[in-house]
Amino acid sequence: MNKQKLLGAAFISPALIAVIVFFLVPVILTVVFSFTNMSTSTGILGGEYQLTQSDLDDLSGAGVSDEAITLLQGAGYAMTDESLTAFETEFGKTRADELAQKFPDATFDSRRDMERALKELRTDPLRSTRERKAAAELFRQSILGQRYETKDDFANAVSALNISAADTQPLTEVAYTGWTFTTQNFELLWQLPATWRYAINTVIYVSLTLVFNVTLGLFLALSTFFLPDRIAQTFRTIWFLPRILPPVLYVMMWQWMTWDQGFISSLLAPLGVDRIDWMRHSAVHGWTVLVLINGFVGASLGMILFSSSLRAIPQTQFYAAQVDGAGRWQQIRYVILPQMRWPILFITSYQTLSLLTSFEYILLSTDGGPGRQTEVWALAAYHTALSNYGGNLEYGLGAAYALALVIIGIILSAIYLRFFNFRELVAKPRIEQ
Amino acid sequence: MRSRSNLFLIAILALISTPLVIMYVFQLIDSVSRPALGGFLPQTWELGNWRFLWETIDSARPSIWRVTFNTFVFAASTALLVCAFSITAAYALSRLNFPARRFFLAGLIMLHAFPTITLIIAIFIVLQFLGLYDSLIGVILVKAALELPFGIWIMKGFYDSVPWEIEMAGVQDGASRFRVWRELILPQVKPGLAALLIFSFLAGWSEFILPLVLAPGADAQVLATYMNAVIADDMRPDYGLFKAIGVFYALPVIAVYLLFQKQLMNIYGGGTKG
Repeated sequence: MNKQKLLGAAFISPALIAVIVFFLVPVILTVVFSFTNMSTSTGILGGEYQLTQSDLDDLSGAGVSDEAITLLQGAGYAMTDESLTAFETEFGKTRADELAQKFPDATFDSRRDMERALKELRTDPLRSTRERKAAAELFRQSILGQRYETKDDFANAVSALNISAADTQPLTEVAYTGWTFTTQNFELLWQLPATWRYAINTVIYVSLTLVFNVTLGLFLALSTFFLPDRIAQTFRTIWFLPRILPPVLYVMMWQWMTWDQGFISSLLAPLGVDRIDWMRHSAVHGWTVLVLINGFVGASLGMILFSSSLRAIPQTQFYAAQVDGAGRWQQIRYVILPQMRWPILFITSYQTLSLLTSFEYILLSTDGGPGRQTEVWALAAYHTALSNYGGNLEYGLGAAYALALVIIGIILSAIYLRFFNFRELVAKPRIEQ
Repeated sequence: MRSRSNLFLIAILALISTPLVIMYVFQLIDSVSRPALGGFLPQTWELGNWRFLWETIDSARPSIWRVTFNTFVFAASTALLVCAFSITAAYALSRLNFPARRFFLAGLIMLHAFPTITLIIAIFIVLQFLGLYDSLIGVILVKAALELPFGIWIMKGFYDSVPWEIEMAGVQDGASRFRVWRELILPQVKPGLAALLIFSFLAGWSEFILPLVLAPGADAQVLATYMNAVIADDMRPDYGLFKAIGVFYALPVIAVYLLFQKQLMNIYGGGTKG
């Protein structure tokens, strides 16, 4: 018995590790990330401490006293080794040596003083004002633009400027370039009108596609069930292909159908219809094509599943119905449909979840266009976190979008577990040789 | 009466199948011909659509053979990984008694329904942590892991259908459970394993989003991302070229479908993923 337990553990652990790393950890991380401001500019690992010129404007808003800001701005000019080295590389060794000799370790309060000192150069004078200005800048003592790897380094640099401890705390927060924890993602989601737009789009998309899918899938399964085998097989193959063809290829075919020089336009042009992009011309065009693209693939799945449930109905029931004089409609109404209740329910709920969360076909076809009119929730998450034209990918905000879907996913799959007996719903996959 | 209503059915079916049939037919025609400007009927034969096979279509793009090799490695490795992990885990869930078995079973059913694509943002960051971002290995691991619940589910179904008596007989003759599994049970589920292998291979071959997000660089490009990049880059669409690439990309899929139609139909019927 113990040996068997060991075997069980050994057999299940590789799969378990994979599931933990790529399911459990990502679920937890989605929650964590959605409470951060992580983005391309903060990086995903820890950050550094750096104050820039543009940060100065934000400082008073962050609660830093004006005194400290002045100290940060003008910390004076000094003849330090670093500044002299920088001066040497720009303006030559003779000038640097002369400067070091004339003003050993000197400090200057203002730029005017610093420039006056630079005018003192005799052997190789700096003649133009512009040059002297640039040279003076090299001696400015400031922590602006400096990178500090740890918090302590930064704090030391700040206290060297005589900035009070009270100001150091808010300064450090502004200076930190890494990500921090925040709830602003959810506040933003709540406030942005676009959020509601995406939610409504998602509802439109899911409900329209779902109705189309299930009806067409059911029709395909029923019609091919009554037809002679060879004809039925031909139609099943036609409708099975969208499901196994690579999505990139399948959507390209639709692009070819709908673009302004494509099949539909070329077909209608002789009839005097304007050539338009049938996929992106308006929101209505976009939605129609999207529902068709997804609907054909979904109907394909529906057809396969419904067909296999149909074949599971004992033939004797049909014979009995025929003997009782039932026509085809009555057979469908009284024999087939009552037995198809569970498969229909299953397909409906399964596809609800999959349509809510998948964005592959929309990304490949309209990509949310025209404008943002066909942007659904899952695509918005993708665009926010993984692909946008601005270039700053907002992982935190994207994770907040995704979190909504993850939660819906967990709840719905838990409901499935509770209410559906999967084993009875799905015909056992068994392949006879 | 019956045949007349059949004719009616066939007419309706033919009507709603027309868009698909047009797409399939012109997919083939356009790959080797060129239509008149602003029309759709083929005008001249055009083998230049297939130029991507012997030259790189523009300087920045990797060679098609390199990309095809990547796609094959990606699809084959994920299929093998899914099968290797599934045959053991599914057997344990189906036949072995170990602690928390019920919990694992419930977890499996939930994972099977759970939409994995919602995790892509977190997975993207996990791969960056692990240093596997933008590498083929990273995408292979992710794809295999995401397909795993489905694989285990399918294999468990096959194990469930193997009679207990076979195992009993083996155990009675003094063989260990491991030996019984390897020598008696595995041969019984071979057809299921083959079907899962084919299915996972096709799933990997067609996969688009994962390579797009997790391995966008030129070195790890697969046919899906290659084709998408060619389509997206062109200012004026060259559908002759796109369709030739499409036919090239789809050939293995069609071949596998024709060869293993029956197995695939069964597994697509049993499975619900995708």
